[in-house]
Amino acid sequence: MKQPEVSAARELLRDIGSLTLLLFLALLWAGVLSAQTKNAGKAVLVIYWDSKDFPGNVGFDQAFQAGLKNYQGGPIEYYAEYLDSNRFTGENQLELFRDYLRQKYAERKIDVVVVNPDPPLDFVLKYRTELFPNVPIVFLAVRQPPPAQLSAGAGITGLVLSSTHKETLDLALRLQPDIEQVFVISGTPDRDKRYEEKAHRALEGYPRIKINYLTDLPLDEVIARTQNLPERSILFWFWQQSADDHGRIVKSPETLGLLAKTSRHPIYAMNSAYVGHGALGGYVVDSGSNGDKIAQIVLKIFNGVRPQDLPVERAPSSPMFDWRELQRWGIDERRLPPGTVVSFRQFTFWERYKWRIVGVIALFLLQTSFIGVLLVERGRRRRAKESLDQLNAQLEQRIEVRTAALDRKSRELESFAYSVAHDLKAPLRGIDGYSRLLLDEHAKTLNDEGRSFLKTIQSSTEEMSQLIDDLLEYSRIERREMKQDHVELRSLVTTVVAQRRREAGNCQIDLAMNVNRASVIADSNGLVQSLRNYIDNAIKFTHGVPEPKIEVGARETSNSVVLWVRDNGIGFDMKYRDKIFEIFQRLNPGEDFPGTGIGLAVVRKSMERMGGHAWAESQPGKGATFYLEISKSSPEAPVDELQP
Amino acid sequence: MNYNLNPILLVEDRLIDVDLTKRALAGRRLLNPIEVARDGEEALGYIARWEAGEPTPIVILLDLKLPKTNGLEVLRQLKQHPKYSSIPVVVLTTSAEDRDVEEAYRLGCNSYIVKPVEFSKFMEVASQIEIYWCAINKTLR
Repeated sequence: MKQPEVSAARELLRDIGSLTLLLFLALLWAGVLSAQTKNAGKAVLVIYWDSKDFPGNVGFDQAFQAGLKNYQGGPIEYYAEYLDSNRFTGENQLELFRDYLRQKYAERKIDVVVVNPDPPLDFVLKYRTELFPNVPIVFLAVRQPPPAQLSAGAGITGLVLSSTHKETLDLALRLQPDIEQVFVISGTPDRDKRYEEKAHRALEGYPRIKINYLTDLPLDEVIARTQNLPERSILFWFWQQSADDHGRIVKSPETLGLLAKTSRHPIYAMNSAYVGHGALGGYVVDSGSNGDKIAQIVLKIFNGVRPQDLPVERAPSSPMFDWRELQRWGIDERRLPPGTVVSFRQFTFWERYKWRIVGVIALFLLQTSFIGVLLVERGRRRRAKESLDQLNAQLEQRIEVRTAALDRKSRELESFAYSVAHDLKAPLRGIDGYSRLLLDEHAKTLNDEGRSFLKTIQSSTEEMSQLIDDLLEYSRIERREMKQDHVELRSLVTTVVAQRRREAGNCQIDLAMNVNRASVIADSNGLVQSLRNYIDNAIKFTHGVPEPKIEVGARETSNSVVLWVRDNGIGFDMKYRDKIFEIFQRLNPGEDFPGTGIGLAVVRKSMERMGGHAWAESQPGKGATFYLEISKSSPEAPVDELQP
Repeated sequence: MNYNLNPILLVEDRLIDVDLTKRALAGRRLLNPIEVARDGEEALGYIARWEAGEPTPIVILLDLKLPKTNGLEVLRQLKQHPKYSSIPVVVLTTSAEDRDVEEAYRLGCNSYIVKPVEFSKFMEVASQIEIYWCAINKTLR
């Protein structure tokens, strides 16, 4: 039983192994496909001179790589190599570098080789057939290869770094017109004086200027020499590499920096790599511009253009200056030609923060103006308020004057009414007195009609007297000072009712009273008079009614007491409910109900003065109820506050 | 001294009122003579006459509304007089105004009577005056 099971397990394992192998092969094939897809892109190799951190190399590298990004045809593989022949000199070193490249790039397809500057170009031209036999070369160099070389193989094209010595000297003479001598500093590892020769050719034709050459001198000597140059001299820096005391190679920009520190004269340079390292400036070739331009050429070749069809061009140059050196040598920036690039500008506080300062000042001014506007507005408002207050004061004063005048007029009128009423009484007394005397003493000489006339005179006099008394009473309400006080209602009503009951004793009237103990705020004289007038009124209008009945009562509301006098008299139509409270208004003939028509007017006026209310309800033939409403007093309330 | 023979001084400008007052008082069969001053100045003129030896009145009936010097001024001078302030002064006037009543009492009047219009009531008033001021009341001489 065990043998067949083991055999089956082995078969299964074999199957799994076959499957794993197939899967591995499939993955490998996919990897190869992927690699082939990668190779569909382009590859460019740049061979620089010197080292990676040489300023010119850094500028070129950045611009070149940025320029390559414009390529639409796929990914670009970028390689950079450095021919460090200035530090590692000799033919042997070149061969080592050749072998290194050959082995390194044996399996890589390079589409374009870029060389920058002359030493790499010379190197590539020398070993081209061994290293890059069918690869187009793009160069950036001082020396242009001969035409035969340009067209050979896959072709060569590029940019020539032409001399800007002349433009730079012309510009220097414009900036420093009193220059008499120029010292050209250069040096090469080979001591071949090629830069001196180039300068010599370029600086011909300046008879007034003495051109001196400090070529291939050790660093110390160059520094020492440049410290003792005559006045009105300038330096032209080309290229100078030196070895220090320890044998270390001091590179060109570094050498320039050391020299510039102690130099008593401005140093002009023709390459942007030196601007920022102590050179004042000049017409420079800019490594950044060159990098960009070379990238454009490379892209054209990637797109299928033959190098032979791309003519060799001159590398662009433009004026560039170091702002710090301009300050150092007292050269006015405004004298530089238009389009000059001024680097390393150190902004003053004002230049750096100009817009912020302007903004802050503008904000401050705006705020100040807002505050100003607000202050002006506040001032205006204050003045307006003052004038309003003044106007109010004037108005109040005017009102006071007018009120005083009105009060005076009112008092005059009252006084007039009072005097008239009194004076009217005197002759009445005469009429009454003499008619009485006539009746008493001469009755015998008169007949019945004469005596009747005399009685009429007497009753008319009485009526007139009553009218005058009532008028005086009415006018007195206005003149009399109101004395608001706590009044105990029940005792007041009791007194008045008792008095009226006594006076009306012979009239057989049922005068009942039903008033609880309540205290009101009122002028007691006015209240007594009002109640008396109401009762008199009730007595008068129940005259002739069978079983005349008058009831005085009171009920309390939340803050007042309503006092009422109810009768079963003749009553009145409610349409006259206001009219009956007006002075001289009567609803019935005087013969039936004698009266002056003043009593109820006195009540209403009296109530108004003490802040109360008087009204009546009735139906003709069914009696009438007359009401008085007076403020209820609370024990705590001071009387002064309750003054109407 | 027989008090009853001292006069009553009536200060009143209206002849009708003078006549009616006299008649009312006469109705009481009053024996005292009645002297009349027709205005305030004439009333005050009596002070000099009293100084000269004329008998002082038993009572002065004084109207308030008078020509030249008004009744309240006459009252003030009489009641401030060192010698004659004790003569009773009864104000007899048509005015029932509170202020007149208050002022008259403040100045020292002995009684304030409002003249009634009806003659019958006037007669009653005269009777009261006679009974109280002429028969009952005794003043310091």
